[in-house]
Amino acid sequence: MNWNKWLLGRREVTLALACVVLAILFRSLSPYFLTVQNLTTILRNSVELLLVSLGMSFILATAGIDIAVGGALGICAIFVGWSVRGAWPSGAVFLIGPLVGTALGLLSAALIVWGRIPPIIATLGLFGVYRAAIFLLLGGSWISGLPDTLGPLVNLSFGMVPIVGIYVLFFYFVGWLVIRWLPLGTAILATGGNERAARLSGVATGKTKFFVYGLTGLLVGFAALLYVARYRNVETSTGGLVALDAIVACVLGGGSVLGGKANLLGTVLGVFLVRLLQNGFVLVGVPSLWEQVITGALLILVLILDALVAVPASTTLN
Amino acid sequence: MNRRFRFRGVLLLWLIALGIFAARAPAFFGLANITSILQFSTLLALVTFGQTMVILSGGGGIDLSVGGIVSLSGLLIGLLIKQNVPIFIAGVAGLLFGGILGSLNGLIITRLKLLPLIVTLGTYYAYNGLALALTDGAPISGLPSSFGMLGQSAVLAIPLHTLLFVVPVFLIMTFILSQTPLGRWIYAIGCNEQACRLVGLPVNLIRLGIYTLSGMLAALAGLVADSWLLSARPNIGDNLELLSLTAVLLGGTSIFGGSGGLTGSFIAVLFFTSLQVGLQMLNINNIWQLGIVGLLLIGSVLLDRSIRIAQAV
Repeated sequence: MNWNKWLLGRREVTLALACVVLAILFRSLSPYFLTVQNLTTILRNSVELLLVSLGMSFILATAGIDIAVGGALGICAIFVGWSVRGAWPSGAVFLIGPLVGTALGLLSAALIVWGRIPPIIATLGLFGVYRAAIFLLLGGSWISGLPDTLGPLVNLSFGMVPIVGIYVLFFYFVGWLVIRWLPLGTAILATGGNERAARLSGVATGKTKFFVYGLTGLLVGFAALLYVARYRNVETSTGGLVALDAIVACVLGGGSVLGGKANLLGTVLGVFLVRLLQNGFVLVGVPSLWEQVITGALLILVLILDALVAVPASTTLN
Repeated sequence: MNRRFRFRGVLLLWLIALGIFAARAPAFFGLANITSILQFSTLLALVTFGQTMVILSGGGGIDLSVGGIVSLSGLLIGLLIKQNVPIFIAGVAGLLFGGILGSLNGLIITRLKLLPLIVTLGTYYAYNGLALALTDGAPISGLPSSFGMLGQSAVLAIPLHTLLFVVPVFLIMTFILSQTPLGRWIYAIGCNEQACRLVGLPVNLIRLGIYTLSGMLAALAGLVADSWLLSARPNIGDNLELLSLTAVLLGGTSIFGGSGGLTGSFIAVLFFTSLQVGLQMLNINNIWQLGIVGLLLIGSVLLDRSIRIAQAV
């Protein structure tokens, strides 16, 4: 058995090792890094990104991209903020974020599928529109000092397991079911692998894309709900860098903008690596303005390494 | 026919916008205002010329990092001038630096065969972030007023940098595109990369050159911005990637490369800056411009698509 070769070739193993090495490195630079409290902070900070990245994994698997997720998250957060401030019934507060998010996701899909606009162009355009819309909706001021009605949504825990962890596990379990076991998962990978061939062999590529962008919108809306529950304010910059972070996490995890690949466990580890790096650099004393540089450089680095060493790790059709 | 029609579309849009502004604010057609439209257009025009070439050369060509290059090279030029480096040398150093940043994109894209979209998305964040992080978000101000000549003075109501940079760059690049073998090659690469490789064209070298050129033009925009504001702002290039991309597509260049040109892009730039100046005159928040541009980006590609379908039928 060449199980050790199999183990070393796995993307997840490489990522987990990278996380451990980084943790040791930061531990030696800051004694605070490896405390329970800080690790909890890193995990809590990962929740929204984990949700968005799950959707982004699916989008990248269809050879698409969505750089407007940050703006969509901001718009959803504004609606959630309004519903909390207006003391809407709890069911409505809970549903408004995911509803708005899904609608925005379906809008992207409509432009991409019906308008046949390349995903990067459609979502770059929407990015500009959303940015303007956020300013307009907020009227230049923040939504702040919201009552703590949504608190239980993020603060409850069952024994050792916080409730946010259960959300993440639930969505990733569903995602794993879809991509690994359902025909829909095959359709997603086939659409990304070779769209023309997929369509000719009877895959409903259009519907598949609607599902993928709609699902991402739903996850973005849910992430916005959790964001408002946690921070109880909405700023014009809410959701700002989420698109970059999510794309980096997916590419780290073994996804590719060329499509046809998805690796959900890799994405999870990718998210942890991104957040761990960002947290570590802050603790070491690097100003938070560097976050953007570090994440961007990480993306380039991973792309270069990937191109140099082809890593066969993800779920593909062949 | 096809090309001219698409190019007429943006001209029409521009004229409509001019008409609306003229009706709402009679001062819009004052000489001073025309100067200020040209003044505002230089940054976007230079960046858009580079973006046009990048998209024309196909292969999924796109440069999302241009805004970051404008900010970063602007900062370098500002820093050098503060250190009493002669202005000319500082400008040349800035241009070279921009060229290096652009060629970094080009090298990663051509050597490693990666998609321009994802590579320049990475450098977009890296360059923009670097500009902010290196300065803590504060501008480098207090550049000597003698340096302001380039960015602030005008000849016969036409800003000096328009005459010195925009018009010559436009003419030279249009000449190259339409009259030289190199121009033919660029269109050819955009149309059918595989065929060009088989014929023996240096596809990678040409693309590398184009990304470098895009970086240098962005740096030139940074130089003009420094001289105009007499300070180097770390966020001066914000949103230029969205604006330039939209201008290119609105100007009739195909997103898939191989067809289009600089004239349409230039008209689109003038349209955007008229919009910007007009909205300012009407006291409408500039954030509207971003939203309108986003809609135009989507709309122009939709229109392009429906024209093609109409022609095919």
